[in-house]
Order: sequence, then C-alpha cells, then structure tokens
Amino acid sequence: MNVALFVTCLADHYFADAAADTVRLLRHLGCTVTFPDAQTCCGQPAYNAGRNAEALRMARHTADVFADAEAVVVPSGSCATMVKKFYADLMREPARRSGPAASRGNNRGTHATALPERTWELGEFIVHRLGVKELGDGLVGRRVAIHQGCHALRELRLESEPAVLLEGAGAEVVPWEAQDECCGFGGLFSVKMSAVSAAMADRKLDTLPPVDWVVSGDGGCILHLDGRSRARRLGTEFVHLATALWRGISRGAGTSDDGRLADSAPASAGRRGNATATS
Amino acid sequence: MRTRIGEYPARAAAAIREAPEVRESVTGATLAFDRKRRHAYSGVNADRWRRWAEAVKNHALTHLDDHLTEAEERLEANGAHVHWAADAAEARRIVTAIASDHSVATVVKGKSMLTEEIDLNPALEDAGVEVLETDLGEYILQLLDEPPSHILGPAIHKSLHEVRDLFADRLGAEPGSDPDALAEAARRVLRDAFIHADMGITGGNFLVAETGTVALIENEGNIRLTTSLPRVHIALVGIEKLLPRMTDLAGFLQLTARAATGQPIGCFVSLIQGPASRPGDDGPEEVHVILVDNGRTDVLAHPHAWEALRCLRCGACLNACPVYRQTGGHAYGYVYSGPIGSVLDPGLLGLHEAMPLPFASSLCGACFDACPVRIPIPELLLEWRREAQEQGLTPWKERAALAGLATVATRPGLYRLAGKIGSRLGGTGAARALPMLGNWARERALPQPSRHTFRELWREGIE
Amino acid sequence: MWRPDVGAELVAGPPVSAPGAGSREQILARVARATVGRKRTAHPGNLLTPTPADPVAEFVKRFTSQGGEVVEGDGTQPWAEWLTGFLGGLDTAVTGAAVGADVPSELRPQLPVVAAAHAGAGISVAWAAVAETGSLILPSTGTRAVQLLPPVHIVWVPEGRVFARLEDALRELRGALPAAVGLHSAPSKSADIGQTVVTGVHGPGRCIAVLA
Repeated sequence: MNVALFVTCLADHYFADAAADTVRLLRHLGCTVTFPDAQTCCGQPAYNAGRNAEALRMARHTADVFADAEAVVVPSGSCATMVKKFYADLMREPARRSGPAASRGNNRGTHATALPERTWELGEFIVHRLGVKELGDGLVGRRVAIHQGCHALRELRLESEPAVLLEGAGAEVVPWEAQDECCGFGGLFSVKMSAVSAAMADRKLDTLPPVDWVVSGDGGCILHLDGRSRARRLGTEFVHLATALWRGISRGAGTSDDGRLADSAPASAGRRGNATATS
Repeated sequence: MRTRIGEYPARAAAAIREAPEVRESVTGATLAFDRKRRHAYSGVNADRWRRWAEAVKNHALTHLDDHLTEAEERLEANGAHVHWAADAAEARRIVTAIASDHSVATVVKGKSMLTEEIDLNPALEDAGVEVLETDLGEYILQLLDEPPSHILGPAIHKSLHEVRDLFADRLGAEPGSDPDALAEAARRVLRDAFIHADMGITGGNFLVAETGTVALIENEGNIRLTTSLPRVHIALVGIEKLLPRMTDLAGFLQLTARAATGQPIGCFVSLIQGPASRPGDDGPEEVHVILVDNGRTDVLAHPHAWEALRCLRCGACLNACPVYRQTGGHAYGYVYSGPIGSVLDPGLLGLHEAMPLPFASSLCGACFDACPVRIPIPELLLEWRREAQEQGLTPWKERAALAGLATVATRPGLYRLAGKIGSRLGGTGAARALPMLGNWARERALPQPSRHTFRELWREGIE
Repeated sequence: MWRPDVGAELVAGPPVSAPGAGSREQILARVARATVGRKRTAHPGNLLTPTPADPVAEFVKRFTSQGGEVVEGDGTQPWAEWLTGFLGGLDTAVTGAAVGADVPSELRPQLPVVAAAHAGAGISVAWAAVAETGSLILPSTGTRAVQLLPPVHIVWVPEGRVFARLEDALRELRGALPAAVGLHSAPSKSADIGQTVVTGVHGPGRCIAVLA
C-alpha cells in the first residue's frame, strides 16, 4: 500500500523522531511511504483564529501537494481533523470568506475522491485501513496512560484506537480520570488565555496515575503538557503514539537485546518524549 | 447591563492565582454534575432525544411569531395578563409598575437568569420593594451581594466552609453547623417570607403556545411556593422559550433534568396557566407573563447564532467545559458564562462588547456532546472569531503573524528555510523570534525543537 | 418617590395602564423580519419514549428511587382509620393535619384540621400519577399550601390513575387544565450548600404516595 506522509509542521520541527518512527512503523506494516517535499502547514492555526482566507490558501496548497496520493497518513489527530473535517467546511463556502479567487477548488488530482476522504489519522489508518490490531508483545510490562486529543476524539470520533494499538503491543493502559479532558493547548488559546490553559494542563497532570509514559497521537498536546510538566519539574515522560508503538515493535523484533526497551537504543533516544533527532 | 467581559483574561488569571478554593469547588461540582449527566444520558436513547429536541426547537424558532401570538391568546383566555418588553429597561418598568399597582412591599423570587440579565432586583429595591431570593444558592449569594456563577448551581463556587461562616454571621446559625442545620436556618427566614410576601417573581423554562402554560423546573419547592402563595405572580419569559404543544413538555421536562442534574425529572415542576379564577381553584389572584426580547431578535436574525436560542439553560455545557472549570463563571463578566455564554453573549450584547469570549475556548467540543439541544457551540465560536477578524477586533500582531504563516506555508522553499532557521535557534531563540510565545513561556518550559527537522532526517534516509 | 436610573426610565416610558403596547408589534415585526428566508422546519411529532409494561410497578420503582415513599392499601381497614394510625406512628407524631379542599371525607384522618403552615402533615389527592418519571400530578383545585408547607405530604392516587408515560398524562390533562398543576416527583432537596444534598429545604421533606 502506498502512503504519503503528511508530517505536519509541528512534527517536522518538534517531533522529527516521532515522525521518523511513523515512517518505520508504516514500513514495518508493509506500506511504501512517500514524503511530498512541498508540504507545509495544514492551516489550522489560521482556521481556529477565524482567518478563513489564509486557512483556505494553506488548504489549497496542501490539497495540491497531495493531489496524487492514494492515502495520506497524518501522525496528528488535530491536523488530520483539519484536513478530514474542516477542509470540507472551508471549501464549501469559499466565495463568502475569501473573495474572487475561490474558483480553484478542492483538487482531486488523479483520484475520484477529495483529499478529506483519502486522509487518515495514524491510529485510524492502522486499525481501520490496514486492519492491524496486534503488534506483538514488545510493550509488555509498560504502564501507559493515554491522552485523547480532543479533535480526534470528538470530531473524528476516534476513541478506542490508541488503546487498541497500545494493548495490541502488550502495554497496560492505566485508566486516567482526565483521559478524555482537554489539555488546554488549543493553539492560539494557550497563548491568548495562557493562565487558564496552564490550569487545564495542571488538572491533567495532577490526576495522572503512576505510569511509565503518557502517550498521545497529538504532538501539540504533548508539547503543551510536557512544557507544563517540565516547568513544574514533574519528570513525566510523554511519548508520541508512533514512537511508543515503534519502541514495542523494535523490541519485540529483538533489535534491543539487553533487556531494556528500545527507547534506550540510539535510533530513537527521546528526551522526555520531546523527540530530539539523533541521526 | 454593564459587563466586565473585556477583563476576562486578567480576571480568569487572577481567579486561578488568587482563589484556588473557587477552582476546587467549581471543579468538584461540575465534574459531579457532568458524571450524573453522562449516566442519565446513557439510561435513554440520548442521541435520538437530543435530535428530537433540536427539531422541536428549530420548528418553534422558525414559527416564533405564530407561537408567540398563540401563547398570548391562550394566556389571556386563561385570565393571565401578557406584557411585551423590548429591552431590559421596559421589563423592569413593567415589573415595578405592577408592584406599585398592588402596593407590594415584599417580593419572593425563584431563580431566574433572565431577571439577572435585566438587573431586576436593584430596580425593585430602588422602588422601595424588599426582594428575597428563595433558591438556597441564590439566597446565599444575595447575602453576599454576589452574582450567580453558574446557570444552574448559582453558588457552586462557594464551599461548605464559607456558607457556614456566612450563616453563622448573618443568620445566627451555630458555628460548625452541618448542611441540614444551615438549610434549616435559611428555611426559617424564607418560610416566613413565602407566607407574607405580596408578590412572587419567577422566570420560565418553557412557554407552551397551545395551552398558554408557563413551565418551571426545580428541586427545592421554592418556585412552587413563589407561584402559589403570594397574591400576584409575575413570570418573565424570554421569547425564545416557546414550545408549540403541551405534549412537547413530556420530552423537554425529562431531557432538561437529565442534562442539568442527571435526574429523570426535577423534584417539582410547575405548569401555570393563569390565576385562580374559577371556583375551587387555589392560587394567585393575578398572573402576569412578561415576554422579553432584550437582544433575542438580534440573535434570531443572525444566520448562524440563532441556533444558540435553542438553549434550555440547563448548564450542561458549563459542567462539561474544562475552561469554565478552572475559574467558574465570575471571570466571564456576564450572567451567561461558559460555552453557551461565549456564543450567546456576542449575539445579545454585540460582538464588540462580548470580546474576547469567542476566543475563551480550546475548541475541545465537550460542550456539544453535552448539549441537550445540540447547539453547535464550537462551530459558533469559530463563526464569531471570523466576524471578530473581519471587524478588526483582534490584535494586529496576531493577524500579521497568521498572514505571515499563510505566506510562508504556501511557498515551500521559504517554509523550509524558516524551519531550518527555527531549529538552529533552539527553544529560547524561537521564543525571541515569536514574541507571542513569551506569554506561553511564563507558565511552561519552552518546547525544544528537534535538532534536525524531519525533512532533513528523511533526506538522509530513515532506517 | 426618588428613583435613580430606573426612575428616569419610568417617567420616560409608555403609560403604565398599557405597558408595552408598542413593543408587542415591534417584537413581532422583528421576529418576522429575523426569520425571513430561513427554512421553516416541521414539528417532528412526539418523542416516543418506551412504555413501561406494568405502570404501577414502574411508578413504585421510580418514585421510591427518587426518594419518595409508597404505601399500598391492603383493604382490611377503612382509609381514614389507617391514615390516622399512620400519622400517629410517624417519628414526630402528627397531632394536626392540613387537608386539601378536594379531599373526600372518607380520606380525611380523624385528627384536628389545622392550617398548612402549622400542620405536621398535609393530605392531598392527585389528579394522577406517572410511571415513566415517578411523578404525582397535583392540581390547583386542591389546596396549594397543603401540597407545599407541611414537612410530610401524603398524596392519594385514585385507583386506575397511573399513566405509563408523561406524554399520555399531558395529552389528557391538556383538555382539563386548572389554573396550575404541580408535578411532585421527590421530596424537596437542594445541593446548594457545599454541594451536599439536604432534603426538605422549602417543600415537604417526605412525600408519601398512597395507592388506592
């Protein structure tokens, strides 16, 4: 299966290792991964701020970049939602908000379906498109908590997928009373309403049960929670879903034979989950 | 009504910093309400119920003029007086005039957000009328001279400890009293008021057009007393509260209670058609229903925001909201706070007056899932944000930054270059380059950019 | 009388005798204008909630789970006698009861009748009960103070008057509405003090349904 990776601007710059783990994971599952080099930002920052004209420009750019892709996989629930749900809204009434240049529409490229229907959030793609739920036993002994990103959860209604995959790799998913509560990121919200946003992160952090990792499919949420956690010197380790699953697979495959988990291997040595590149 | 909405970011920050006990009370209460709501939704086919309620309200709101005149006709046939108030001042004037006509000295009130919205109590007090709030939460707040902080639980920001001190000080309750003893202390004062008051004032959860029925939901019994014992009863009802049919109440009474408190129905429901005019009928000699606009027709005219008029004032969105939970309602600076306030206030008061409430949300969507009438609150927040942008009501730096992002993001070469510079600068450098991040960094450690962008890793080859 | 603020508006406003006469037309016109061009949607019909198989059993289950109490007669003694004994056996024995104007003589206890504000118990007759919501429907043809002021409220539910669903009750009630109707589905309660539930705040702290 041919897959085009839409890495997203955030992962490109802040979660390069998690993005690389996404590639490894998809290849391991039998996909051929391409990376269209002209890709940039999905436009969500502008869309959420109410700047539809700018958001539409970015949406059109993205639609052009991925015009020929059979399937587009996004390792971010929030950006996947932007493409899958909000692009359709944006392009439905372009004339109203963006003026005369609206005639260039949703580029279908060589495909019968528009980009939103060809785009998948990473966990959604693995569970529903590839039909994979078993990923070995590489995470046996790992206690993890899941942070559900709001957009994936309530806009795309992807609720069980992260748990299915983590448990499918042998991890123990520990119940967390604030699992489905917003972390307070919300992009511009965390800047404009900084104190409220930080208090929301605190509610998450203060209710967190003892776990090895907090796993999320959303880099933005990790950036925020990790930032707050480090400011409070809590030492919590945040790990992107792709990285967590790849650690399990690489361990299960025996790439790390010293009894320690793959996160100690050079290929994905993350610093508190805030994946720094090491190649 | 003067609002303090513009101070939201500062007041929210101050509340979090200076009143941790408020955050604790509000968080505990709203999480408990929300848990009960979820449980109550799971006991019925909530999705079908909510779609049904949405459809009834949409029908009512797209036939509102017909239903309003039908309700008026029925109420008058039942012997009630119907008044129309275009704005808050007119509503206050009608109430004070009725009080004056009946030489009213004391008024007992049931909890009503609309009377808060129109600032009714000061107007009555200025007219020499003594006003007693009889909902226990509202009574606590009246003693403290504070506005309600939540649509349903007006005093959820107050802890038991605070109420204990207040009642010891003001009602002579024993220090250290338990909630039962405290309620008993309030009951003694309010019981006397019910028996001696000349007039009762309430809001209205629904107004049924075909029967002219004002429906009121409650748990304490104070509304039943307010509408039963005094000689005169005034119900102030927003014009959006219309339901076409009596049988619609069957669904709405149950759905409202499930959404608000997780109960199958409120402990008490009052269905009021008019005064006791027929032999054998007991109740007030006069019933007045005041139909209040006060900005509602502006909301109705808005191509998107009109959907917010479906609101049942159940408070479910407040309970579900992680933003509201951190501060409670006072920080919002107006009677309608939380998610519904952030979409209703711009319509009722004008967007300029309601800034920056449309931005006081992380768009997490929990409010929509809780809303019994499926008001698309996140979509409406975005709609108001778009209008705020169009009207130039947002900071120019923000607009410039987003325009810059769009420029960079539609030119891949420029985007790659900017990315490279960003990653070379590191976290602190990025914060310097993007001044907006300064705020962020006060409460959070700065994000650490990856040493190489993914793009660079890809080019080198990923194994 | 000196009335700051509001006083000024009072003077400037329309005459008290016809309050809001112009506002009626203005509001209706604004409503009509606001909805011009908007699709007028149809009423979806009634919400079909499930019908309980055994309404009486369902009522008992619901009402008691909400904090109400249910007493079912066994027919061995006259109601008035039974009631007198029941009231005497309460924690705080009731020496005087308030009785609704519409309570028939055979349902009145053999006790002094006192004003509702001073009575230890109030006796009412329901128009009907509802199984779905565990509600007693109390019309204003009874005595409203009796329904609300005494700490214990005892409500007779006439035989065969338990509706399965609230909608069924409201449909029948629609044609015979008195000035007001109260639905009592539980004792009075509040959680406004420190989020702790207390009962009997304003209305009755005990609500006892008697199924005839």
